[in-house]
Amino acid sequence: MDNNKHYDVIVIGGGITGAGVARDCAMRGLSVLLLERFDYTNGATGRNHGLLHSGARYAVTDRESATECIEENMILRKIARHCVEETDGLFITLPEDDLDYQKTFVEACHASGIRADIIDPAEARAIEPSVNPDLIGAVRVPDAAVDPFRLTVANVMDACLHGAESLTYHEVTGLIVNQNRVDGVKVRDHRTGEEKEFRASVTINAAGIWGMLIAQMAGVTVNMFPARGALLIFGHRVNQMVINRCRKPANADILVPDDTVCVIGTTSDRIPIETVDDMRVTDDEVRLLLAEGEKLAPSLATTRILRAYAGVRPLVAADNDPSGRSISRGIVCLDHETRDGLAGFITITGGKMMTYRLMAQITTDMACAKLGNNRPCETADIPLPGSEKPKSGNAQRSFAFNAAEGRHGTMTSKISMESDADKALVCECEGVSVGEIKYVVENQHVHNLLNLRRRSRVGMGTCQGKLCACRAAALLGRFNNNIPKAQEDLAEFLDERWKGMKPVAWGSTLREAQLTATVYQGLCGLDKAITRKEGSK
Amino acid sequence: MKFDTIIMGGGLSGLTCGIALARTGKRVAIVAGGQNTLHFFGGSFELLGNVDGADVTNPLEAISSLDQQHPYSKMGHEQVAQLAEQAKSLLGDAGIKTSGDSARNHYRITPLGVTKPAWLTLDGLATTDRPDSLPWKKVALINLESFIDYPIDFVVEGLRALNTTVEMPTVTLECIKRARRSATEMRATNLAKVFTNTRNVAQLAEAINAVAGDVDAVLMPAVVGIDNEDASDILKAQVEKPMYFLPTLPPSVSGVRINAALRHYFQMLGGRFLLGDTVDKATLEGDRVTRVNTAKLQDTPLEADQYVLATGSFMSKGLVSNFERVYEPLLDLDTNAPKEHAQWSQFGLMGDQPFMSYGVMTDEHFRPLKDGKPLSNVYAIGQVLGGHNPLTLGDGTGVSLLTALAVAQNILDQK
Amino acid sequence: MATTQLTSISDHNFEQCLKCSICTVYCPVAAVNPAYPGPKQAGPDGERYRLKDPKFFDEALKLCLNCKRCEVACPSDVRIGDLIQQARMKHTTHRPKLRDMMLANTDLVGSMATIVAPITNFSLGLKPVKVVMDAVMAIDKHRTFPAYSAQKFEAWYRKNAQAQQDKFAHHVSYFHGCYVNYNFPQLGKDLVTVMNAVGYGVHLLDKEKCCGVALIANGMYQQARKQGEVNMASMRKSINQMRRPIITTSSTCTFTMRDEYPELLGVNNDNVREHLSLATRFLFQLIDEGEVKLAFRPDFKMRVAYHTACHMQRMGWAIYSTELLRMIPGLELVELDQNCCGISGTYGFKKENYETSQAIGSILFADIEAAKPDYVSTDCETCKWQIEMSTGVKVLNPISILAQAIDVEATQKLNGVR
Repeated sequence: MDNNKHYDVIVIGGGITGAGVARDCAMRGLSVLLLERFDYTNGATGRNHGLLHSGARYAVTDRESATECIEENMILRKIARHCVEETDGLFITLPEDDLDYQKTFVEACHASGIRADIIDPAEARAIEPSVNPDLIGAVRVPDAAVDPFRLTVANVMDACLHGAESLTYHEVTGLIVNQNRVDGVKVRDHRTGEEKEFRASVTINAAGIWGMLIAQMAGVTVNMFPARGALLIFGHRVNQMVINRCRKPANADILVPDDTVCVIGTTSDRIPIETVDDMRVTDDEVRLLLAEGEKLAPSLATTRILRAYAGVRPLVAADNDPSGRSISRGIVCLDHETRDGLAGFITITGGKMMTYRLMAQITTDMACAKLGNNRPCETADIPLPGSEKPKSGNAQRSFAFNAAEGRHGTMTSKISMESDADKALVCECEGVSVGEIKYVVENQHVHNLLNLRRRSRVGMGTCQGKLCACRAAALLGRFNNNIPKAQEDLAEFLDERWKGMKPVAWGSTLREAQLTATVYQGLCGLDKAITRKEGSK
Repeated sequence: MKFDTIIMGGGLSGLTCGIALARTGKRVAIVAGGQNTLHFFGGSFELLGNVDGADVTNPLEAISSLDQQHPYSKMGHEQVAQLAEQAKSLLGDAGIKTSGDSARNHYRITPLGVTKPAWLTLDGLATTDRPDSLPWKKVALINLESFIDYPIDFVVEGLRALNTTVEMPTVTLECIKRARRSATEMRATNLAKVFTNTRNVAQLAEAINAVAGDVDAVLMPAVVGIDNEDASDILKAQVEKPMYFLPTLPPSVSGVRINAALRHYFQMLGGRFLLGDTVDKATLEGDRVTRVNTAKLQDTPLEADQYVLATGSFMSKGLVSNFERVYEPLLDLDTNAPKEHAQWSQFGLMGDQPFMSYGVMTDEHFRPLKDGKPLSNVYAIGQVLGGHNPLTLGDGTGVSLLTALAVAQNILDQK
Repeated sequence: MATTQLTSISDHNFEQCLKCSICTVYCPVAAVNPAYPGPKQAGPDGERYRLKDPKFFDEALKLCLNCKRCEVACPSDVRIGDLIQQARMKHTTHRPKLRDMMLANTDLVGSMATIVAPITNFSLGLKPVKVVMDAVMAIDKHRTFPAYSAQKFEAWYRKNAQAQQDKFAHHVSYFHGCYVNYNFPQLGKDLVTVMNAVGYGVHLLDKEKCCGVALIANGMYQQARKQGEVNMASMRKSINQMRRPIITTSSTCTFTMRDEYPELLGVNNDNVREHLSLATRFLFQLIDEGEVKLAFRPDFKMRVAYHTACHMQRMGWAIYSTELLRMIPGLELVELDQNCCGISGTYGFKKENYETSQAIGSILFADIEAAKPDYVSTDCETCKWQIEMSTGVKVLNPISILAQAIDVEATQKLNGVR
């Protein structure tokens, strides 16, 4: 990488927004550098429901968001079909809810252009057997499930295919400001410890809640309020459709079938900015999620919980109300040149994971205007890599092929499944083969097991890495030619998995943890392997 | 059906206790709800490997520093020493040949190439007397092609840190290739089944001899010798260099073998082994259990003079946890677990996890307490016992063996 | 909220799986056939993906023997075999072949064969016929078909035994199964001998259909269900109206009707299950409770190696048969190691499975040779075919051994039978 190169655009933040901005900019012919301090999707992008909203949830309270959602929903079904599962969703009314709200809700949906069909409770029970049988009303809407990890990486890959450069584990430590103009960024490479500088005509702050701190580095203020939401992952799919409560949006009222699991969430709590990096889930959060979740699908009360996690959404205060009482949930794109007299700097925040493409379009339009580029946005029409064609359907393929195709779409053709050695499964729960690991290591910026997990689902299944973590670490060590680091990585990975299991460690999850510790700490002495290395440093 | 003693649980402690009783002529039945944790065995039994974060040199001496609740503390130094000898000879009688000394730990080599203190190691596995070096200057570690249940690069790294030159020649055999045609089932135990065929063993020996080179010893993952030691004996005889095995990730070939050896020995002594069945009801009269019922035999109750609980910890379902509590599922015995699930564990998986030390509370004879009072004809042995963390102390298999023998002794002493 | 996370409930307990992989050690198929994905992958791992999308169903699941040794080994009580069979039932799109339909319809083919038994037996043994069966029907030519008896058990019973049964003080109904009826009536005769000796009259059910184990194995679930309903109706009548519990001499039939009916086929066996028992268990319980006594011939000598059939192992009932055998003073018992014989009903008859089948059985065959028994004993008829064909050692059901070992007159006297 050439440190002296001058880019058109530097994008800060490897979440879905940053990835989308990088793709849009690159497709319009700009030279782009994307910087992420840890891994793609490390922030709020990787810590939500994975729900492709129909917009119905916002129809009553926020018509603008609802319209954005349904438009983007339809676009993503086309351009990101390998990341989307078209499940549809139900908005159910329970005896304790007001059935009159259903009418308001459906009218608001229709006014926003969202298909919303009232169905009989009996039909709801038939099409979604897990739903609370006591329901008194149900509305069917075009909700769907989306995989934010795949979506983000597909955007980054496409940006790179259009000439963008992308660096993970590069944290912005400061902005280079000259005479009211941001000229670039100072960064620290976390893998080498090196300090670097990169320069660009426009610097785009797409760092989510951390964008508040980036803005501070430039001496400008963006008022954000971190809103923390916790979620629970259950061991398998209880439901095949998204289940929501038909009432004003509240805690833990969405259950989404995501890949092999289902996710209930979220709680919602304002937290101080100092605590946004502590993602440990508390017992109170777990209790609340369980209590509310059971109302959507009673069988959650007796379903194994794999883990708990939390994310922080950036809520942005309207510029005319610094108190934070008037929160905008919409898209906020700030041109700091007109707002603060600081040229070459844009902040994009607010919005939602699923309106990322629109956010990217608005931001890129703004950047292009500054750079005198007038190419139109094409991101709504050109499919992402992997989504060029529909999945291959029911052809009798191997378990690993089908599992990989679910993750990589048409890119699965690039995965080597020729030899028996490549077909061997590393992660048995999620069907991840040696070939798939080779593919993501070679193509998707994989430096450690955490990256590998997000690209492939290694360690995301029932055993949370007990069987596969060691196999995957050994392979990664070999591919990256760094064995000692791979072992440290293994210990870190198991700890990261445990962080999510601990808040729900009872029943089978506690048994699983005991077996995992027995294998790695007892049988293998992994703890000793790590201290031995630290001692020799 | 009537027996002298009924043992619930067919793992290391249950089998050991069953053997110790059956060989005095007692009528013993073991009810085993599925297979056991010997399948995660690393090739070595450990008496006491670690106290306060430091390796233990002399386990018998170090016992005095253990907590009062530790099962060894209930036996006392002398009995531990005596039972340790008895355990070694019992294993030998069952056909499980081991080397080691209860007064001086040696070191085993883990599947990650780390050295850990050990008491008895199965003959044929590589060991060393020191934590920081190997008895060989130069070794060849045989790499079986595309065997991903052995992180061989980590082991090479680990062995090199022990000041040994390590070469890693790769062996390719038709029989391994055939096993690899399965995307999932080329596990250590399945390879070991391939090597129950002596022709395949001969091919392996030939391949090893072709690549071993000029080394002091040949090491290879323990994927030979699943039903007996014949295959490994043949292999060792045919390999030109001294040859030793290193344990793999589970399922453990040596664990499967010693599990079967103990069960055979128990059955040979006349013991009845009910595999795949679980005692799901115990009838308590006063402080005595009068009979138990199993899931499969249902209306045929099993009656005995004594009942031994060898049901293991959470992963073996000897202890059960849910959102509200930790409990012992058969008799709801007293445990040392606090009520709030938030207290059961801590962040940092490989720390001293509180739940690892949970289990039933007993008196000094290992009679479990219910509502604070010991039951008179029930005993608890092995990992269902509370009061010690087998992962931080390195005492799991030792506690299983020794408490099994102590309880057998207690039962025999009653007459 | 009272029940929140107190237990974990999932279909056949698939979610209890800790991925410990112990089941894979005991799968006889995965050990010899790399095309089979193994119980863990085929069962709980695959189930999660099948719940997501049925396209994850793998036709290789048909290679499962349904021996249930995975379930016996599982420390977490996951009913792995049931999961696999259920997935086959739910997702398989292949129609059973003619060969499979013939193999599965043991009673239909059996009744046809008995009519022409001498010809059938002659032609089944004939080389050209075997070659044709091998090529056209894909039934392996190495297989010796069990010979068909010239007289069905039911015919023998009606002619020779039925009239005397009412005189006894106690009564049972006997589900003889296809094997006793068509291939080996002697076992049925032995059962009548033993039960009569201890004072029990033996009766046939009103209507008996094949239990359906072979239909299940060959994917003919509808027919299996229908036959199950007929059997349950007959058994209910026997229990409720005649107060006769039902006994059998086949571990597989018993297992199918007690466990596979409700778990797999959804055939309700409430109020029947607890009255349906294997004859060895029934006898053992009577003896254990002091209800009946056996007297043995002093000159009886036999060295017996007992093989625990897979479904016997799954039921956990081997102890009844072995304890009964141990009661015989002149009998020396060797308990063989827990290994599958490889036949698994009709599985081993299929050409494509022959090699796998024999490879699976080889461990058991070697154990039998090493044990040098006079007879092997087992409670399963298909194990009997396989072991006799593969080792040459004769196989007897424990009931047949008892029939030989008891002193009938002395036993009658002990039990007050005139």
